Amino acid sequence: MKTNAGNLKKGEFVNHLGEVWQVQKADFYSPGKGSALMKARLKNLVSGKNVEYAYKSNEQVDVLDVQSVEMQYLYKDNENLYLMDERSYNQFSLPIAIVGDVCKFFKEGDKMYVYLHEDKPLTLRPPMSVKLKIIEAEDAAKGDTVSGAKKPVKLETGAMVMVPIFVKVGETISVNPETGEYTGRV
Amino acid sequence: MKIKASYNNIGNYKRYLKVAEAVTNYLNKSGYLRIELPVLSPSLIPESYLEVFKTEFKYLDKKENLYLTPSPELFLKRLLAYGVGDCYYLGKSFRNNDPSATLHSYEFTMLEFYKLGVDYMGIADEVLKMLQFINNQVKSEKSKVKSESQNLKVLYQNQLISLEKWEKISITEAFKKYAEISEKELFDHELFLKKAHKKGYRIEGFSYEDVWSQIYTMEIEPYLGNNGYPTLIYDYPKEFVALAKLNKDGKTAQRFEFYIAGVELGDCYTELTDWKEQEKRFKAEGRLRKISGKTTHRIDNGYIEALKYGLGQCSGIAIGMERLGMIFSNTKSISDLKLITIE
Repeated sequence: MKTNAGNLKKGEFVNHLGEVWQVQKADFYSPGKGSALMKARLKNLVSGKNVEYAYKSNEQVDVLDVQSVEMQYLYKDNENLYLMDERSYNQFSLPIAIVGDVCKFFKEGDKMYVYLHEDKPLTLRPPMSVKLKIIEAEDAAKGDTVSGAKKPVKLETGAMVMVPIFVKVGETISVNPETGEYTGRV
Repeated sequence: MKIKASYNNIGNYKRYLKVAEAVTNYLNKSGYLRIELPVLSPSLIPESYLEVFKTEFKYLDKKENLYLTPSPELFLKRLLAYGVGDCYYLGKSFRNNDPSATLHSYEFTMLEFYKLGVDYMGIADEVLKMLQFINNQVKSEKSKVKSESQNLKVLYQNQLISLEKWEKISITEAFKKYAEISEKELFDHELFLKKAHKKGYRIEGFSYEDVWSQIYTMEIEPYLGNNGYPTLIYDYPKEFVALAKLNKDGKTAQRFEFYIAGVELGDCYTELTDWKEQEKRFKAEGRLRKISGKTTHRIDNGYIEALKYGLGQCSGIAIGMERLGMIFSNTKSISDLKLITIE
């Protein structure tokens, strides 16, 4: 589907220089010296590399038609993540290089949406929050009562996050996988 | 659109107020008169790239179109011609078609000031002094140190910028240095578009100005104000200067913009005082507005009348107050300074 670059939004997929990219950021900019522009940060869905590109806002951009399909996360190896469409039982893989650090917070059985273009997976939309158990944590040092003080803990997936010092090993917490931030106890 | 209240920004907002106060203190003590102005006008200066907001005044069976002013220039130039002297406006301006973005908003606060008897480089000197004054006013006494040159530095997004002097670069030099576009290619529309095409930009259906602007944003701007000093980039091709005086080369006009850490903060030119030339450019800009389907508005002929009456040499600059506030409060977006935004 063709659209004016001025309409681009974060999260959309575009064809740019013959490759598929996901829009990470789209910011209107008018240098006041010609047409207005849409400054976009694009992530290449083959190499995972980011580039900045300033489209003329009335330049036609090819936005890909994508389907988002709920899938179950199965496992990962050194290079890929494996997911399954629960309706068709079809399995798909996505390179870790494309999905990024969010996958450190996924555990078997988590549900998330995968974007498909012509039945091929492009990338996934991480869940807003994941619930994970703390497997390693230091006890809060005695007398350390500064409000807002934090300590690192290890989660069941192996990922490390900072949590308030009162949170203990064995507790389940919720984390925003995109930012890697602790959002609360469950 | 929705109204959003962001009380968390109160600290940034207070910092912004300090910057605005420093600006008015500086200009008042330097002999500029603050001018309060209407924001609604029945006629405007035709500018081909600006879209305007239109509204209607109604009284009994009388109706008249009014427009929110995209700049206070039309009012201030009249006053300059009639003898007001050095002056400034600090208030709202409006640009339709500018959605809320990191550096834009359709409604924003503009600082515009004019000085008589100087060209654009005279304004450059004044702006530098003003930046130093603001930095000194907003810095807490505690953070000041004995070294004069340290006190002239501002920290913005992990970069220390010294306000001691300008880094000056002409448009021609910048295109050569950063985009490898020669002077010949820069000013010849056909050669320029050819070069742009070779670089991978789309040129079909786009004007020289459109593509120029894209290359400027992609390849030049990221370097401006990022070399330890604020950058002053000057002498723009005449295509980009509806109201500025031309240089003797006939290709460029006396306009500069200045940047800190890649953020464009102000746009200055030596004012065009020749009314015949101005009338010619008004017509051309008006035609371009029509072609591009912009809102038609009454052209401000009073502006031409003021030039006919006589305007001595003067120069003026427009500075985005929110952007200036961003620099001195070390924030990334103009919305970071606002308590209320419409998104």
